[in-house]
Amino acid sequence: MIENFKQVARSIFNEYVEAWKKSGKFVVGYPCTYVPEEIIHAAGLLPFRLRGIGISSLSVGDTYFGPVICSFPKCVLELAGNKKYSFLDGTVMSNGCDSMRRLDECWRKADKDIPGIRPGYFHYFGVPHKVTDYSLQWFEEEIQLFIKSIEEHFSISVTDQDLNNSIKLYNQGRRLLKQLDQIKIGEDCRITGEDALALVVANTAMPKETYIPILSGFLDNIETTCKIIPGRKRLMIVGSINDDLDFFKVIEDCGAVIVADSMCFGSRTHHDLVEETTDPVKALAKRYLNHAYCPRMFGYYKERLNFIKQKVVEARVDGVILQNIRFCDLHGSENGIFVRDLEAAGIACLKMEREYGPLVESGRVKMRIDAFLEKI
Amino acid sequence: MKRETMEYNYDWNLWTILECASKTNEGFCKEYHNLLKYVPHYGPVLEAFMRFGQPGDIFLKLMAGYMKMCVTSKENGKFTALTSFCMAPPILYAFDIVPMCLEVWTVLGTIVLRRGTTEFLDYCCEVGFTETSCSAQRGALGAYLAGLCTQPDFIVFDSPGICDTNANSFAFASAFLDKPMFQLNSPPTLSDERATKYHRRDFRNLITFLEKQTGKKLDFARLKEIVGEIKRQDEIACELFDLASLVPSPLPGMYDLMLYGGKFMMGGTREYTLLLESMLQTAKGIADKNLSGTLSGREKARALFCYIDHYTTNARFWYWIDEHDISMLGSMLFTFWQKDVVYAKEKQDQTYDIDDSSDEAIIDSLADQVSRMPMVKQIRGPYDAPGMMLDDTLGAARVLNVDFIVYVGTMGCRNTWGVIKCIARDLEKAGYPTLVLYADGFDDRVQSWESITDKLNEFISLRRIGA
Repeated sequence: MIENFKQVARSIFNEYVEAWKKSGKFVVGYPCTYVPEEIIHAAGLLPFRLRGIGISSLSVGDTYFGPVICSFPKCVLELAGNKKYSFLDGTVMSNGCDSMRRLDECWRKADKDIPGIRPGYFHYFGVPHKVTDYSLQWFEEEIQLFIKSIEEHFSISVTDQDLNNSIKLYNQGRRLLKQLDQIKIGEDCRITGEDALALVVANTAMPKETYIPILSGFLDNIETTCKIIPGRKRLMIVGSINDDLDFFKVIEDCGAVIVADSMCFGSRTHHDLVEETTDPVKALAKRYLNHAYCPRMFGYYKERLNFIKQKVVEARVDGVILQNIRFCDLHGSENGIFVRDLEAAGIACLKMEREYGPLVESGRVKMRIDAFLEKI
Repeated sequence: MKRETMEYNYDWNLWTILECASKTNEGFCKEYHNLLKYVPHYGPVLEAFMRFGQPGDIFLKLMAGYMKMCVTSKENGKFTALTSFCMAPPILYAFDIVPMCLEVWTVLGTIVLRRGTTEFLDYCCEVGFTETSCSAQRGALGAYLAGLCTQPDFIVFDSPGICDTNANSFAFASAFLDKPMFQLNSPPTLSDERATKYHRRDFRNLITFLEKQTGKKLDFARLKEIVGEIKRQDEIACELFDLASLVPSPLPGMYDLMLYGGKFMMGGTREYTLLLESMLQTAKGIADKNLSGTLSGREKARALFCYIDHYTTNARFWYWIDEHDISMLGSMLFTFWQKDVVYAKEKQDQTYDIDDSSDEAIIDSLADQVSRMPMVKQIRGPYDAPGMMLDDTLGAARVLNVDFIVYVGTMGCRNTWGVIKCIARDLEKAGYPTLVLYADGFDDRVQSWESITDKLNEFISLRRIGA
């Protein structure tokens, strides 16, 4: 079962998406955890989180983006330029960070040179950087505009009932992933970080109706199907986006197990649930704007620090890896203060900069992890 | 950081240099020229301002005054706010808060000090801030983090939604120094009702924050005086822009730095009005003679910098402009969007106007002004959307009749580096030779000034600009 999830996580176009497309249904991409997937789902479309794995060059990405930009959006554009995203019928762009928001223009521009690489539905979704009554109101309006644009483009109607059903389904998925987190942090760890990451990534690349029963079955049988992983250092990983199983594998092959995280392909996606009893748009706005674990939300450092500290205690973490993709200053800088404050609290930290994409620097990563594990 | 660097406060050190510089014009001309021999490190930068006569002298005095205000703020019992260049200071002055603008302090150190701000840039990295962050803030931020500047009581900035790396510097400072912060937050659009409403509510929230921090209510009488100055300043700036569109342009190259630098430090104060009046009077004199504002009076080509200028030591950027008889018609920093300014004529929906008919109208006007500050206006949304970077650059290029466009930024500028290749293509397509410099406007170590001038000279020669 894990192998099945790993296959999904290691590819862009997977068998589930293929089956979905064959049934005549549409797929809409989205870039980050601030875009409410429930809306896409409620419209009868498959939300698919944009990723950049499996590229072997950046010839398209570097043509449009400048040199000092995070490699993640460049990899996404590279895949788009090579028509690996031709299965998308639409995509949402958002200001998760400045590099990601410029993917909007670069993708549009590249489409003029390589016609057809941009999906027909292309929508910009603006997210405020703080939580106030008026930013929540703005965000709520943005959700309404998003719904309207989907309705118009795909000639469908999204009712409150549809939204409520999607919210319930997505919450169900989140509860299962939280259950997975609980298993990870248990004294007898039965799943590696690499395998857990595969489950989380698959969650963003499969129809929820298919994913939830498989995950549920896996979790029900985990005690019989997965052996206890003994004698490893317990790590928490924090920082920039990572959907690369091999990155986690390199870390764990050094003699560690990743038992906790604060990452957007990780606990940030499922930590908070959407309220099911209020107006669905308001509930979505509240949940998505308030899940302040990404440093794109300025001024919430202490909340993020406390989240890490709490996880460290719960998961009996031996050390924290604070990593960022080069040019991701939001995570990189915050990691700098995390080091100061976590080490002052007696928590061992390793700060590391890396590239997104093919793991060309596994030797360097391995050496640093080895040294860190020796230290702790 | 070197121990000797820790001996002197960065802000105090710079202030004493500029304070002395601002007094050099008080003697005779001969005395001034004799003095230059004794200040070999500072002669060129002093001369960069003084050679423009009265406006340069007033600008030096304005800078020295601003720096003194920052350095002496605590002994004068004033609150201090760490802030950004794109955050218009009038509302802070209305509360009698001293705005300590990071980018201003970085520029001053970069231009005046022989080694620029390198040690402070690096100090930021020593304490965990990324080396890929924006040098415009990092240069001075290092000194603040090291305790080598007057410490802020709180932090106020308006770049979230505009520029992550700018905003991140202030968020980092807030977390590192454990100081309260307030962010004005910009939506991706500017002129629609939704955005206007958002900005105005956000601005009122800022006032509430400032009232809480200072323990004082907003003094509307004081605010009205400031707004009166802003109106006069806007009128003069509009006239200066009208003059800039003349061929040849009678505006000396240094005017762009003086106009925006003055605004970032002392916008809304009498001192800034006096500077603008002097600049206007001088430029009109040059225009009457149908001369260019370059030192030679000739204009070979007209340049527009579509983002920022280059602040290398001794203001060599502006010397280069003059040596090549190039009229420097400004950068994005040079722009402001009062409704009467020449480039805003067909874009009235993107402008602001100061309405002082009531207290509420004043607050709305200031919210509109802040949301149209350089960068805050242009890079909030897609670069090719109306009123954004491409549209504004093309608009300015047409009105000012420019011959070429140059991009200089910082290595930290994700936002502009994200699309500059696309912008350059569009500008070339529109007929404007465009050069993208892979340099850092605040850090010569990325690309030396000598190397940059090679690129500029090569570009001008190859594209036959001014030939």
